[in-house]
Amino acid sequence: MASSIVKTTAIVAALALVLTGALLVAGCTGTDDGTPTSTPAPGTQVPTTGTASGRLSVSGSTTVLPIAQALAERFMALNPGADIQISGGGSSVGVSAVGEGTADIGMASRELKEAETTKYTTLVPVPIARDAIVLIVHPSNPVPPLAPGQIRDIYAGNITSWQDVGGSDAAIVLVGRDSAAGTREVFTEKIMGTVNTTPSMLEKNSNGAVQTSVAPNPGAIGYVGLGYVDATVRALDLQVNDTAVAPSVENVKSGSYPLSRELFFVTRGEATGLAKQFIDFTLSAEGQQIIEDEEFIAITR
Amino acid sequence: MMETPTTTIPAPSPVAVPVQRFDLAERAIRGLWLLCALAAVGAVLFILLFLVLDAYPAFAEIGVVPFLTGETWSPTSTPPSYGILPLIVGTLLVTTGAMVFSVPLSIAVAIYLAELAPYRVRAAVKPVIELLAGIPSVVFGFFGLVVLVEWLRVSFDVPTGESLLAGSILLGIMSLPTIISVSEDAITAVPRELREGSLALGATRWQTIGQVVIPAALSGITAAVILGVGRAIGETMAVLMVTGNAAVIPDPITNVLSPVRTLTGTLGIEMGEVAIGSLHYHALFAVATVLLLIALGVNLGASTVLHRLNASATGRGGPRRLAAVTGRRHAGTVVAVLVTALTAAIAGSIAGAPAAVTVLVAGLALIAVVPRLSRDQVEKGAFLLLYVAVAAVIAILAIILFDIVSKGLPALSWEFLTEGPRDLGRAGGIFPAIVGTLSLVAGAIAFALPLGVGAAIYLAEYQRENRLTRVVRSGVDLLNGTPSIVFGLFGFTFLVIALGLGVSMLAGQITLGLMVLPTIIRTTEEALRQVPQGLREGSLALGATRWQTIRRVVLPPATSGIITGTILSIGRAAGETAPILFTAAVFSQRFLPSSVFDPVMALPYHLYVLATTVPGARENTYGTALVLIVLVCAIYAVAIVVRDRSHTTMRL
Repeated sequence: MASSIVKTTAIVAALALVLTGALLVAGCTGTDDGTPTSTPAPGTQVPTTGTASGRLSVSGSTTVLPIAQALAERFMALNPGADIQISGGGSSVGVSAVGEGTADIGMASRELKEAETTKYTTLVPVPIARDAIVLIVHPSNPVPPLAPGQIRDIYAGNITSWQDVGGSDAAIVLVGRDSAAGTREVFTEKIMGTVNTTPSMLEKNSNGAVQTSVAPNPGAIGYVGLGYVDATVRALDLQVNDTAVAPSVENVKSGSYPLSRELFFVTRGEATGLAKQFIDFTLSAEGQQIIEDEEFIAITR
Repeated sequence: MMETPTTTIPAPSPVAVPVQRFDLAERAIRGLWLLCALAAVGAVLFILLFLVLDAYPAFAEIGVVPFLTGETWSPTSTPPSYGILPLIVGTLLVTTGAMVFSVPLSIAVAIYLAELAPYRVRAAVKPVIELLAGIPSVVFGFFGLVVLVEWLRVSFDVPTGESLLAGSILLGIMSLPTIISVSEDAITAVPRELREGSLALGATRWQTIGQVVIPAALSGITAAVILGVGRAIGETMAVLMVTGNAAVIPDPITNVLSPVRTLTGTLGIEMGEVAIGSLHYHALFAVATVLLLIALGVNLGASTVLHRLNASATGRGGPRRLAAVTGRRHAGTVVAVLVTALTAAIAGSIAGAPAAVTVLVAGLALIAVVPRLSRDQVEKGAFLLLYVAVAAVIAILAIILFDIVSKGLPALSWEFLTEGPRDLGRAGGIFPAIVGTLSLVAGAIAFALPLGVGAAIYLAEYQRENRLTRVVRSGVDLLNGTPSIVFGLFGFTFLVIALGLGVSMLAGQITLGLMVLPTIIRTTEEALRQVPQGLREGSLALGATRWQTIRRVVLPPATSGIITGTILSIGRAAGETAPILFTAAVFSQRFLPSSVFDPVMALPYHLYVLATTVPGARENTYGTALVLIVLVCAIYAVAIVVRDRSHTTMRL
């Protein structure tokens, strides 16, 4: 019996050793050779002339994460010495991480709240892009462009059938974001005002989840960022003062599409070193082009 | 007079038996296990303390009673309202529904595996069911959102399938492997003599199972169900994806197709976006506190009820036993009628009045007919139900696996497995995430296994059942019922910020280790209890010390049960997102981690970000899910081989 315990212990210990060994070897290889785990996109000329180096941690809003990721990939391709670590978690996690010093840059899809500026007094938000909020329905839903007032009544629970707004005879299924989301805040500010949302609205925790809920359901309506509109959903035009305004990049830039917001990088004090280089890259022409490629809207052009 | 031959007995050699040394070593070892047991309780108290500290401002400003009984949860409306009654009701309804779905199914499958299945079938089916434990909760949530919800919407012709029913079914499926595995271990451990005695008295196999084996295994089955309830109450990701998260109380309460919101769903969905230090933030910590208290209440209640059941079934209840038995027969009929009525009401809410009437009539007919059937007919009927249950569980697993494999296989390639991600994860591979997950799991088990086994040894071997053991066990159950997102929050505020570890592999490993600690403690304790008392007594009678007995006589047969617990824990640790969300994971970094203080990429987190934040990554999402399942399978395979080898060599 004792020898079998010894054998069992030996196997488990061997397994643990192998795992740890693999990790250490992999880790050593990674750092010493500088072998990148993110490789540049195929076919691009990589002018590795950049001298920026060091480690940068970026954390926060899941809306901003795709932009930050795309920017980081390009920045790291240009600067082989730079290591940018990106994680999500939500705007608030990002702000508190920056405030506490566990991240160098926080991503936020909303403006800083009073509680945050009181607790962390040196936060500096830098707007880096704009985002449009688009109302989406099922592709087969024939409803005509809706006025903001109608949308407000729908989300307040006063209108419950598509027939009342010019669609077919079906129940409206409301999909939205959780109550603290930056996206919902903008929606509330610009559409709902002081009218409360009905409690029977289905709440989702991300843009992608809203889109996944609306796409298969003929009676559903939801709101997402512009980058999430694809062939599986139909984007609604807004009826603004007798004109149907489509949610497009041009209309947001011109200001005729009212549902838009700014996205921010937040730093502790004015940005310095690698953080400053990264933010400068983001605001440069190349950075803003990358932002537009991800279907967000540039801020400086 | 004959001289009696005398044999000279040699004088005993003056071996100095070092009694003092034995005592000291024994006491030191006992103290070590006591520390482990207290550490588990300490962890729970610590987490509770952290939660209450942050929750207090909310209770002070909102008031405890308005908070608990308010019917509207709407923190961002004007004016904001913080009533959590709909959330409490949602949690209770979803958990109850999940248990109603899962417990009968699980126990049926466990009985089949332990009693009826041929050895080869059992050896094949048991690992397959444990595989269900390795499917990450995000994958379940994704499957639920894309397949289950749609199926419900189309089948029952309702505006949306996101509902209480979807949440219950999904949570029920997720608790299946836990309850099945632990129950099966308990049933297998019932001594053969009990079965043989019953059969010798002329009972049928079903009568033996129902009236001898199950009552003897009741304590293990209780542990299994409590673990399952803990899993259901604490699940965050899957439930927030399919229940709709609408903070309403279903009207009427049996309307299972109404959307609901649970306490964990509220935490999962709002915690990341809320402003630190605001009233909303403190209110969420108050929600977490209430959740823990409910989990504790459910555990205590379940323990008490099953303790009473155990006492009446095994005759430990004393002279009241006869009354309990006769009372029970009538009680059985009353319960059956109530269950029929409730099922009819639920069927009515799903499919209308005709369905309700059908269920009612069928149920009453069954209640009238079954007691009048012969023993053999009852046995045939019962075994048929068992086979149906097994078929159902295998079918569920097949559907889920088929969905993931068919959609994920196209994404697999050598590049996918050995390179890092590109283009936000839409292209490239997931190699760093694989390495990250392996190291997180290894670290979590390295942290939890010694601590958990030590605590279990103390509870099972060194203490009689008294207040201390009950306190420790309640602490362990409380830790078990803690939602994964609460672990993540605790890890963030304590390990990452207060201890200054930063977002690191170490913080993630400790958080995950805490999360799986109760599973290891519970299963180890059950495994130790199943070792027959005669073995211990024989060893002690031969002069061995307590620790020698444990090490050489008690632990070896318990090894297979301990490995079951480790397997379940590995599956849980590998697939959880919420604990590593704020403590260890990054979506991308350039190099692999070079020390435990670096952050890591991890498969479940990668999956979560791809599924919810990166548009156009559907194929790689499924590919990541597939790789994660295969990885967990590989770890399982090793552990199962180890368990089977130790089982055959230890078989008594």
